[in-house]
Amino acid sequence: MTSFRDYQDRRQRDVTEMRMEVLPLGAREFQGDRAGLITRLAAGVIDVVAIFLVVLGVAVVGWMLSFIVSPLNPLATTADGMRRLPPVLVLVLIGYALAWLYFMICWATSGRTIGNLVMGLRVINFKGSRLRWPTAALRSVFVVVFPVGLAWVVVSGANRSVQDLVLRTNVTYDWVVGVPTLARILGRNRDAQQK
Amino acid sequence: MSQPESAPRPEVVLVTRPTADQPAPTSPAHVLRAVISHSIGLATFTITTAASITQQAVSAAASSGTHVAQRGMSVVVDPILDAVVPRVADAVLDRLDLTQIVLDHVDVDAIVAKADIEAVIDRVPIVPIADYVIDEIDLPQIIRQSTGGVATDAINSVRVQTFGADQWVSRLTDAIVRRRQRNVHAPGDRESHEEMTHESPEEQMT
Repeated sequence: MTSFRDYQDRRQRDVTEMRMEVLPLGAREFQGDRAGLITRLAAGVIDVVAIFLVVLGVAVVGWMLSFIVSPLNPLATTADGMRRLPPVLVLVLIGYALAWLYFMICWATSGRTIGNLVMGLRVINFKGSRLRWPTAALRSVFVVVFPVGLAWVVVSGANRSVQDLVLRTNVTYDWVVGVPTLARILGRNRDAQQK
Repeated sequence: MSQPESAPRPEVVLVTRPTADQPAPTSPAHVLRAVISHSIGLATFTITTAASITQQAVSAAASSGTHVAQRGMSVVVDPILDAVVPRVADAVLDRLDLTQIVLDHVDVDAIVAKADIEAVIDRVPIVPIADYVIDEIDLPQIIRQSTGGVATDAINSVRVQTFGADQWVSRLTDAIVRRRQRNVHAPGDRESHEEMTHESPEEQMT
């Protein structure tokens, strides 16, 4: 336990250091370190589930709209003989495209997808700042096409996936305690542009 | 009206006579008697004179010139007291356990009860002390534990658990490939820290 005198001395030496931290005590040490496999896997699963739900939603909405266009035909087809539901392959391709867009936009704007946000992860480049759009687009393609590259995190001595090695990116523990608002994200983008 | 003749006016007549008529003291007894009588007379005169002067001086000092007399005294006495009193006091205090004496004979509680605590509190830096206490007891953690959102708690506990799983997997792999240490340090500042320390309410408004 630090004495009050020590506390006062420290406070006068470095004011910012003494500001109140809201992160749990046990989680403060490893913030900023490259994240391990399980956390990143969990974040990925959350993102994939989210994308799956969106694709499912698109399919369901399209299916319901088709009844407005041709309400009388049999359930599986419309009046033109088209199927009310697109084939699974098309849905999967939509899912891939959505995933690519989603990852790219998330990493280039906030550095976090929804899964990253929940698991407290952030994607940064080799300098420690947010990815630029080309890097984000490349990494997004790479992750969507070759998700198994994540497994390299375990083998690598530096918690890097194949994507991280190729594009020199890092995925770090960086817990968000408050919910980030659009204003904060835009404010951060403005700061990044000024730099 | 004239005064009666029968009342005679008192008269004092001084008669001087030459001393040459008296026989000069010649015997030793006479000389001795004269010396003793003169000595007694002189001594009496001196004592009475001194007494009257002292009486007058004391009354004068009492009436008006007190501080003058004291100043005269202090010029003489102060240096002596300055030299002697500290040594005496030191010597006395060295031989006494003052703390024990105070504890034995003084009701400390009564003194404290009479003390002006508010004046003391006014001088105490309350806000830094409060900050210190908040920091020392980790008040944010207590608030999280007592009233914090259930969702935040759940998310944090999930994060901690997956971090533990990360560590476990890493250790297992490192043991298999016989790696001593992982280099997990990433460049840059962590964002969560920046948010908690540098963001002001004005920035949140914009």
